[in-house]
Amino acid sequence: MPQQEAIKAQVIREFEAQRRVTLLRQRTQQVVVLIGFSALIAVCFQVSGFFSGSQGSDPWGRIANLLNIMVPDLKPEALFEDRGTAGSLSSWFYDMPTWLSLLWETVQIAVVATLFGIFCGFWASLLASKNLSPSPVIYWFTRRSLEVIRTLPDLIVALILVAAFGVGPLPGVIAIALGTMASLGKLYSEANEAADMRPVEAVRAVGGSWWAQVRFGVLPQVLPHYASYGLLRLEINVGAAAALGVVGAGGIGIELSRAITYTEFDTYFALLILIIGLIILIDLVSEAIRHRLIGLEASA
Amino acid sequence: MTTSATLAAPPQVTAHQMQVARAIAPHLVDTPLAVQIRRLALWIGLSVIFVALSIGVDMTPATFAKGLSKLADFMANMFPPNAAGGEVRILQALAATFAMAVAGTFLGVLGALPLGLVGAKTFVANPALHFLIRRSFDVFRAIPALVWALILIVAFGLGPFGGVIALALTDIPRLAKLYAEAIENCDPRAQEGIRATGGQRRAAIRFGLLPEVLPVMASQSLYMLESNFRNAAILGIVGAGGIGFELEERIRIFAFDQVAWIVIAYVLCVMVLDLVSEKIRSRLVHG
Repeated sequence: MPQQEAIKAQVIREFEAQRRVTLLRQRTQQVVVLIGFSALIAVCFQVSGFFSGSQGSDPWGRIANLLNIMVPDLKPEALFEDRGTAGSLSSWFYDMPTWLSLLWETVQIAVVATLFGIFCGFWASLLASKNLSPSPVIYWFTRRSLEVIRTLPDLIVALILVAAFGVGPLPGVIAIALGTMASLGKLYSEANEAADMRPVEAVRAVGGSWWAQVRFGVLPQVLPHYASYGLLRLEINVGAAAALGVVGAGGIGIELSRAITYTEFDTYFALLILIIGLIILIDLVSEAIRHRLIGLEASA
Repeated sequence: MTTSATLAAPPQVTAHQMQVARAIAPHLVDTPLAVQIRRLALWIGLSVIFVALSIGVDMTPATFAKGLSKLADFMANMFPPNAAGGEVRILQALAATFAMAVAGTFLGVLGALPLGLVGAKTFVANPALHFLIRRSFDVFRAIPALVWALILIVAFGLGPFGGVIALALTDIPRLAKLYAEAIENCDPRAQEGIRATGGQRRAAIRFGLLPEVLPVMASQSLYMLESNFRNAAILGIVGAGGIGFELEERIRIFAFDQVAWIVIAYVLCVMVLDLVSEKIRSRLVHG
């Protein structure tokens, strides 16, 4: 009996020793990862120049100051007076007709670019899905091209296009359409690849051409996905189009950068409210359309 | 593939057979006229709207052709790409841009953690409050980084400080929404188990919730880093420095061979970052 007790104690001791080693190793690993991660963050803050220069001093004071100059001096008694009265709402939103027309231009840019991008993205996705692409070379090439285009930010593309097409909404449309094509091309090709291939084979078996296979075999399955991805992209594109004007590519952004140049920060705030309102509106419309589409699908 | 070889060729349909088919089930042979007209009207209507909008944004064949010829000139100038002795400077700018992206993402994560908790249905059960919080995320999510950066750079002066804050402000609502969804999708039974054995709420969060959501959150934050590297490149245009500034400078003076060099270097960096981040993310999620 005492011998057995001794063995038991020995086993427990060994187990505990091993456990301590494992725990220690785990702890060290965690500490090393933590130190490495902190070092990376610290180096990045340092390299980005976050703390250097005058920018770093008293950030809270600066933020408070910024908020202060952004809020307009509204007077409650003169709130609904005309534009000439200081402190009225219409003197805050003093250039409303221009802004509304620029907002409309923003919507136009987003809608045209999205439609254009959906159209091009659809054709690109046919070439870039494994099950539909006419040849592996075309498949590979389309995939890589879409990847490269996706890495380019739309504003950088817009900047180059503004130099070519001149100031105006057209470069904005092309820039956003390019980005939309690249991202939808990828999403659509994933939808195509997930499609059931049996209808496609059925169309092929009765002698259908490549287009007939796509039109009657794949499209009926993926069209709802296409539509909802396209609508989601439209919402993103409205936001992107609002920023494009800063580089001269049309839309409300031009007023944003003008307000900054003339240090009209309350105007900037007003424009921000308008942009947010526009985005909410587009979200609601797109959501309504999406629900309608889902309803159609369910009833069909 | 094997089935198509064994299948016989589709039988030829005679005119008489078509007649019989029409007599039995006309709606299966021909599309009804009303449907045809409705479809045509829909397509014409959509095309008219599209053309009207296109003219509204100045997208006509004439303006297109004019710009395209200029663009072709630019493209021709891009080859061969050439850094004109600015390699070190450009690579430094790329490093600064990456650093900005990391710093912005870090601050964004810090800001989004509490908001993500608050936005989760499991923590704020009141439906009206939940709706309000999530909707406010949606609203702020839509504001592009550039719009934040424009005003922040005025407030904080030229330089990356405003840019980093702008990136963080763009990330916070997006990450908060993703975090909230991750927390909501978490299995509640682990937390219930800890509560049932007498654990405090803090212990339930630490041992029931965190082990499940932390990898998902980390993966989403890495994804945000990828997107921030693209955004950080843009912010240089409005004065946050980095690669966007170098690019804009060279586009302004039509030095397109240098633009091409920078763009190629940038695209390579983005691809490397995406690859590395994807590797880490798949390891995080699949263990």
